[in-house]
Amino acid sequence: MNLHLWSFLTILGMMCVTYLTRITGYFALRNRTLSVRAQAVLEAMPGAVLISVIAPAFTSDRPADLIALALTIAVATRGSFLITVIVGVSAAGLLRQFL
Amino acid sequence: MTQVDKTLPGTSPWSEFRRGLAAMAPALLGLVPFALVLGAEAARKGLSPLEVLLLCGMNFAGGSEFVAVELWNHPIPFLLIVGMTLLVNSRHILMGAALAPHLRHLPKRKALVALFFMADEVWAFGIHDARRRGGLGAEINLPFYAGLSAALYLSWISMTVLGSLLGPLFGDPGAYGFDMAFPAVFLVLLRGLWPGYRAAAPWMVSLVAAAAVHILVPGAWYMLAGTLAGLTTAYVWPVQR
Repeated sequence: MNLHLWSFLTILGMMCVTYLTRITGYFALRNRTLSVRAQAVLEAMPGAVLISVIAPAFTSDRPADLIALALTIAVATRGSFLITVIVGVSAAGLLRQFL
Repeated sequence: MTQVDKTLPGTSPWSEFRRGLAAMAPALLGLVPFALVLGAEAARKGLSPLEVLLLCGMNFAGGSEFVAVELWNHPIPFLLIVGMTLLVNSRHILMGAALAPHLRHLPKRKALVALFFMADEVWAFGIHDARRRGGLGAEINLPFYAGLSAALYLSWISMTVLGSLLGPLFGDPGAYGFDMAFPAVFLVLLRGLWPGYRAAAPWMVSLVAAAAVHILVPGAWYMLAGTLAGLTTAYVWPVQR
């Protein structure tokens, strides 16, 4: 069980900004309405971050990876976390054996 | 100020707490693989089980924890991780604003504690329950909200720590396809956030920009570049839901 100083400071920093986002709406926006642009930016933000984080998966040059990714996307549109993870992992594992 | 008893007829705080625990149960089924994958990935990046416990227990916002673990490196890119956490969790600002009318009756001290636990699922069930009973002006049912929070919080930290203990037993994730678990989880998260085709245009811009920068520029800059490209798109062509 080890805890490094910078690990702890990073987690502490994350906690502070996350808590800040949770109380900001309560304190600052209780009696205000946001502009359409501000709302659009805030709504797009989590999706823009998440899709940017997994973008490297889309740049693979192995056909097996790209087919597995396409299958995973198809399942993710309807399936639960569990189903999608199982399909994604087994598709990637199997296709890499054969392609 | 007089203290009014807000308990509904035939209920007690304890029964409302248990109702909160039970309401969260279906969501927990989906959470378990998500938490295990996060814990396993964190262990692979060198986080100890204690660090995983603190990360998930202090921050308690899954999406940002996934991003942080993906960025985790030596030396730790502190500013990048904290900055990305702020971006991922900025949706809480809107959620808090929507929840605020239902917290108005609470003392500030209690509201601040309740807001710490405002994860997506807690927010969704909590606000739905309040509106179902009394519309926009209804006070949140605090024992019910506490039940939702306790179920989610305890499951989240225990399952992520379990993942960090079990993960290393599987060895190299790339060998079996376990590395696909990560994009798979993100894709389901994105499905949950899906705003419709027109409003999702910023996401597509983010994807293309991030992929291009990933190919052309070494390091983790693609995340920031992709995010900013998407936000610029949303700012220039705002689409209201």
